Amino acid sequence: MSARRHPEQIVAAIGELKPSLELGPVDICFLVALQVKADAASLTSFTEQQLEDVFALASAAVQPEADQVRRRATHAIQRLRAQRLLSRVDGQGVVRTGEFALSRLGSAIVEFYLEEDVLTRVSLGLLTNSLRTAIADVLATARVAETPEQWRDGVAGPLAVSIAELIAGIERRQRGLDFQQEDFQAEIRRLLEADWFGALDRCQELLESTSATLHELNEVLLRDGSVLLGLLHDIEELAVAANAVEAETAAHRLMDQIDRSAAWGAARQRAWSEYFQYVHRYLRDVVRLDPTRALTQRLRDQLAGLGQKFALAYAGAPPIRILRTVATPRDRAPVVRPRAPREKDPVAEAPEDPQALLDTKVRRALDGGAVALSSVTSEVTAELAGGERFLEAGRIAHTVAQLAHAKADVERPWVAVGDLEIEDWRLSR
Amino acid sequence: MTFAALQEVVLDPSFPELDLALRRGRHVDREDLTWYALLTDAQDHLEAFYRRYGCELVHKADGYFYLLPTGEKLSRRQLGAGDMLVGQALALMYLDPATIERGGRVTTEDVVAQLVVVLGGDALIRAFNPKRKRIDERVAQKTVRTKVADGIRHLAALGFVDLDDEATLRLRPALLRFAEPVRGLSAPAEALAKLVADGEVALVEPDEPEVVEEAAEEVDEPVEEDADW
Repeated sequence: MSARRHPEQIVAAIGELKPSLELGPVDICFLVALQVKADAASLTSFTEQQLEDVFALASAAVQPEADQVRRRATHAIQRLRAQRLLSRVDGQGVVRTGEFALSRLGSAIVEFYLEEDVLTRVSLGLLTNSLRTAIADVLATARVAETPEQWRDGVAGPLAVSIAELIAGIERRQRGLDFQQEDFQAEIRRLLEADWFGALDRCQELLESTSATLHELNEVLLRDGSVLLGLLHDIEELAVAANAVEAETAAHRLMDQIDRSAAWGAARQRAWSEYFQYVHRYLRDVVRLDPTRALTQRLRDQLAGLGQKFALAYAGAPPIRILRTVATPRDRAPVVRPRAPREKDPVAEAPEDPQALLDTKVRRALDGGAVALSSVTSEVTAELAGGERFLEAGRIAHTVAQLAHAKADVERPWVAVGDLEIEDWRLSR
Repeated sequence: MTFAALQEVVLDPSFPELDLALRRGRHVDREDLTWYALLTDAQDHLEAFYRRYGCELVHKADGYFYLLPTGEKLSRRQLGAGDMLVGQALALMYLDPATIERGGRVTTEDVVAQLVVVLGGDALIRAFNPKRKRIDERVAQKTVRTKVADGIRHLAALGFVDLDDEATLRLRPALLRFAEPVRGLSAPAEALAKLVADGEVALVEPDEPEVVEEAAEEVDEPVEEDADW
């Protein structure tokens, strides 16, 4: 659901909760120890005593000299509960001592540190096989689904939950592999710093093993990705035909996720290939040719100004000059002074009386047989612009009252004249 | 692909761009895939071709080509003192295993930091502000940063580095040219004398950098003008 909301909305909603995490090394080790202990002993929850024992274990590893372990365990449990990393699962309150389990957030933090979720050819192969089987089952259900309930429970539900979880598992392991690669890059650096020439073989091994892994993963992602996309496409088509919007959306979203996973494979392989070439060149041109690492020191001395200064020479041909086409300038007309007088003499003209003009028009309308103010107004204002018509309507009424007898009832009707509405009068001469 | 005659090389679609780039001082390495392949395949023809213009097409074992004018037919330039400092700092970073971790990517700030480590802050400021008698620290530091950035841009145009964006750059093998005088087993002075004789480098007198630096602020001064190609 959240994927369809705007990022701003999501961030604002989470911001309102004022979330914060504050974990020290002991807290993190405590969480990890809980997870490891639960896995080893198949525990679904811990009693308070078990929590304290596990904390003592973590504390002994991280802070062996620290005392008051029980008191610090109480504080640590309280801290983890306040940060929703550990939750009480028995619901008994004060009736009896509680049972606790790691929350989803706590488990996620532990997973990050355990680094077990690194994508390998085996884990990817297993995941894609499970995905293929699960999606094929959903497709079979979609083919026979008839009612909206069947579409929701048999198709949209599994797509949105179980299959999405499997794909999320691949993505999580991809992130694990990203971290592992970062570690490899740092390790190559550490190896070279520690044992310059002696680290060559180990660096070579690291580079080649990662390259092979990425190559294999990319192959699996591309091959199985197209099969999975084909199955999901069939489900989407069936959902469109059955007007099952929820299933269609879920299938579409999963197709996006699979595309993203395949794109990850291609992008990582490209990036690694660039890195691979760089390091190989470095090992060949720098490490092999300078086994005693004397070059760095000599270059450092040279840069520090010991010895004769010099400058590298290089070819510096100027760009080709492309000359512009010569255009003959046109002769400009000479500047002259006008000889005719600029100002004309005023001419007397007869004034125009607007009221006399209006009188003539109104009289013409009345002579033409108009028997109502609306008819006169309509005829006289016919040629006027919209804005002038309103002003002229008042003057027409005034003129009509002078040139004709107006008879008005107590209730005078309102009559539309173009875009105006006026109170109408009956007229006689 | 091999070329039977020079005509075939000249007719290659990549040749005009490559030729112009080489004549403008570009260093071409394996990352310039098409150009490098053309240069490798047509090396014999192109060496003879450029020799007629008084140039050597140099192919280094580190995997890059460049054109070195040895006669007077093609303009020959030399890097300014600021560009030389930046280039040597970049070469030093190229050799540093720490750069490996980032696949040869460094930032402009890293370059300035490298120069500070090797030269010291005061010497660096004096190197990039040779004409100033009274140095305001803030202005002088800004000048250093600006000139380092200018140097990086100039070296990027010559193929020594790639500019990823405004602040990040990727180091390329041609940077090892800056380490040539100290690469061999012979004494640096002897190696330098040989490079001078080959026309690869020019010596700079101790009091000369200021003049060269000033003249080289915009574009390096050509040693020889009047190209007639």
